Amino acid sequence: MAPLEHYLIVSALLFAIGVVGVVVRRNAIVVVMSIELMLNAGNLAFVSFGRFLNSMDGQLIVFFVMGVAAAEAAIGLAILILIYRNRESTDVDSLNLLKL
Amino acid sequence: MAGLFLFYLMAVVTVAGAVGVVSLPNPLYSVLSLIAAFLGLAGLYLTLNAEFIAVVQVVIYAGAIMVLFLFVVMLLDLRREERIPLRLPVQKFTGALIGVGLFAVIMKVIFSGSLLTGAKGAFPAERVSEIGNTQVLGKILLTDYLLPFQAMGVLLFVGVIGAVVLARRRAD
Repeated sequence: MAPLEHYLIVSALLFAIGVVGVVVRRNAIVVVMSIELMLNAGNLAFVSFGRFLNSMDGQLIVFFVMGVAAAEAAIGLAILILIYRNRESTDVDSLNLLKL
Repeated sequence: MAGLFLFYLMAVVTVAGAVGVVSLPNPLYSVLSLIAAFLGLAGLYLTLNAEFIAVVQVVIYAGAIMVLFLFVVMLLDLRREERIPLRLPVQKFTGALIGVGLFAVIMKVIFSGSLLTGAKGAFPAERVSEIGNTQVLGKILLTDYLLPFQAMGVLLFVGVIGAVVLARRRAD
């Protein structure tokens, strides 16, 4: 079985890639997907710490994170559809009404 | 040995899928790449003796949530904005810098000392697989974690109602 550090490296890689996606990509759908990627990086860290500490709490927290992620995806995509109806685009640069 | 091989295989699939999400220009390909990453993560959960979480990852994440994303990508017909130029010329460089910096910070924390200083729990993997992973999870979920479990039900209920109300076309 691979040591804990290896799992955490995979988790850190996923999180860093997710952050890069949020910063670099202009399409709001891909930005939301990058956020999902970061949530999953956290999930992987939870499960691996739980496994190496002989605890089930990590897996239970992952269960709750998945519920929150499902609710977040449903609401977020509904908001994206509304934005697309108003702006004919999901480019995050077009959402600049708060700019002075 | 087989477990180690499975770990490296699934880790490569997961990270490659994640890179694909960020780097592929067409959002449709990004969604498919994210599904590959989630399937790889399910394999990683299997190597961690978390069978229930692995199945839930496939059914809920790679199944339900990603179908939702796929529907929205196809509904919005995003093909014509595949090639939006980046507004800031240094954006890619800045993003890569932030990513590498964050990864370096996390690496420093991981390798800075002993990670497992917390108290050991009562569920070693051998005992859990003896009783059954799902049975142990269900028992804890409906006793110690009953209130969060119910609260999550309320959250999902409110979320579904909110999504329907938001996405409905106004009748005017």
